[in-house]
Amino acid sequence: MSTINVKVAAIEAVTPLIKHFTLVHEDGSELPSFSGGSHIVVTMDAEGRTYRNPYSLMGSPTDTQAYHISVRRQESSRGGSLFMHEHVHVGMRLKITHPVNLFSLSKLAHKHILIAGGIGITPFMSQIEDLKRVGADYELHYAFRAYEQAAFVNELEEMCEGHLHCYADSQGERIDLNALLSQQPLGSHVYVCGPSPMVVAVLETARNLGWPENNIHNEEFSSPPVGEPFKVQLAKSDIEIQVPAEMSMLEAIEAAGVKADSLCRGGVCGRCELTVLETDGGIEHHDHYLSDSEKVSCRSIMPCVSRTKGKRLVLDL
Amino acid sequence: MVGSGAVLSVWLIEEINMERGYWIKSKPVYTSLKWHEKATSHLVLATGIGGMAVLKLFQQMHPTQPVKVLYGKYGQMDADYSDTLKMVVPEGLHIHKFDDALLTQFQLELRDAQMGLRIYVAGSEGFIWDVVAAAKPFGIQEMEIMKEQADTLARSVYCVHCKTISKYVTTNITACCGCERMLFVRDHFSRNLGAYMGLMVDAESPGELPAIEEIYP
Ligand code: FES
Repeated sequence: MSTINVKVAAIEAVTPLIKHFTLVHEDGSELPSFSGGSHIVVTMDAEGRTYRNPYSLMGSPTDTQAYHISVRRQESSRGGSLFMHEHVHVGMRLKITHPVNLFSLSKLAHKHILIAGGIGITPFMSQIEDLKRVGADYELHYAFRAYEQAAFVNELEEMCEGHLHCYADSQGERIDLNALLSQQPLGSHVYVCGPSPMVVAVLETARNLGWPENNIHNEEFSSPPVGEPFKVQLAKSDIEIQVPAEMSMLEAIEAAGVKADSLCRGGVCGRCELTVLETDGGIEHHDHYLSDSEKVSCRSIMPCVSRTKGKRLVLDL
Repeated sequence: MVGSGAVLSVWLIEEINMERGYWIKSKPVYTSLKWHEKATSHLVLATGIGGMAVLKLFQQMHPTQPVKVLYGKYGQMDADYSDTLKMVVPEGLHIHKFDDALLTQFQLELRDAQMGLRIYVAGSEGFIWDVVAAAKPFGIQEMEIMKEQADTLARSVYCVHCKTISKYVTTNITACCGCERMLFVRDHFSRNLGAYMGLMVDAESPGELPAIEEIYP
């Protein structure tokens, strides 16, 4: 995939855990335009290893001078977010991919219900710009732990005017999904981005209320989970790779110099799908791409997020 | 004797392909109506013999959610299920004499409806796609509507030359009701128009036509 060389133009601590990075083209030229909900993959060359993390673009899609991403410090996960927080400084060069949109707004929708949890607010920030530009009807429901830790509340209040609804867990405020999704006009679409339990709750509620699949959109905001180390054997390339606990299988494959396809790197798009030839411990599927029955069959794996529970895995690659 | 040239070859190829089990992707496939388990309300539309599909739905069960049935007495085929429907659907049944009135009521229902309403339609293909067209302004996508083809196989035919749609065409070749060109009725279906493409058949040798047969009774 072709990459763009960018330079970090500014870093701002939005909350103690969230940093906002402004990226500009290395040579000062314009960046490709994008649509609301797009993400880029940032390549970070840390000592000894490479991280590739997807981040939503949260600036205005009409602004091609700079890209804006926000990164939440994830202590428990692998190093990508820590690297962004601790090692990336103003003036540093990074490689990013062209923006890709796997979470786009439906053009057919009459009303858009946007539901965000925590840092999952970022893709909506660029989408709101798009919605406002075309004058679309929308509501933004933003849930977070506490006001002190919530990012961009003031900006959003200004951007969304009356369309923003905030829910602070610390004050016992919760989104009543059933009430919210049972009273929407025909032609409504719902979009959710946030932690897994929230995404699952929204999908389930919408489906139970009879929302058609086409009207339900989600972008799970999860980086590859940490797991047990294991060995993966690539049958066609005829090599064996060690996947450390805090590295995704896709990253390990790439680090070994084997070409593997990927796009979202978040278990959503299906691009990285690989065929499993053998496994001794079953597969820990963390993706949102394979159907439940495909997951049970253990014939495919999405190496960007999924791992094996066993010690050994053989892939058709 | 048939005509020659590019136009002719289209239908020749199509006929040959059809013989070999070729299937044109754009051609809609219909199902038998079945209640969506997950819904907050149901709206069922049918005309004529499509009433039988509604009766079969109620054989499956009476859903717990509110149901409305809009039934048009007169389909293409002579079969009026009004009396039986009145017994089976004691509440929420609305019977119309004309499809236009039925579609008007349909749109009124949609105006106040909310997400969770599931829509079912049974009738001729022409009726099905009239319903699809009526639902579209409300942001309802075609695939969300469950469709059962009952009644005639007659096709709506879109003239690619003058853009008129001739309704209820039962023959392989038909005169366009707009420009009177003789059109070959293709298998290529446009979901936006709700019609099959009609292509002039005797463009190069006017008047030379293949046999006209009723194949969509
Ligand atoms: S790269 Fe998209 S699912 Fe793995």
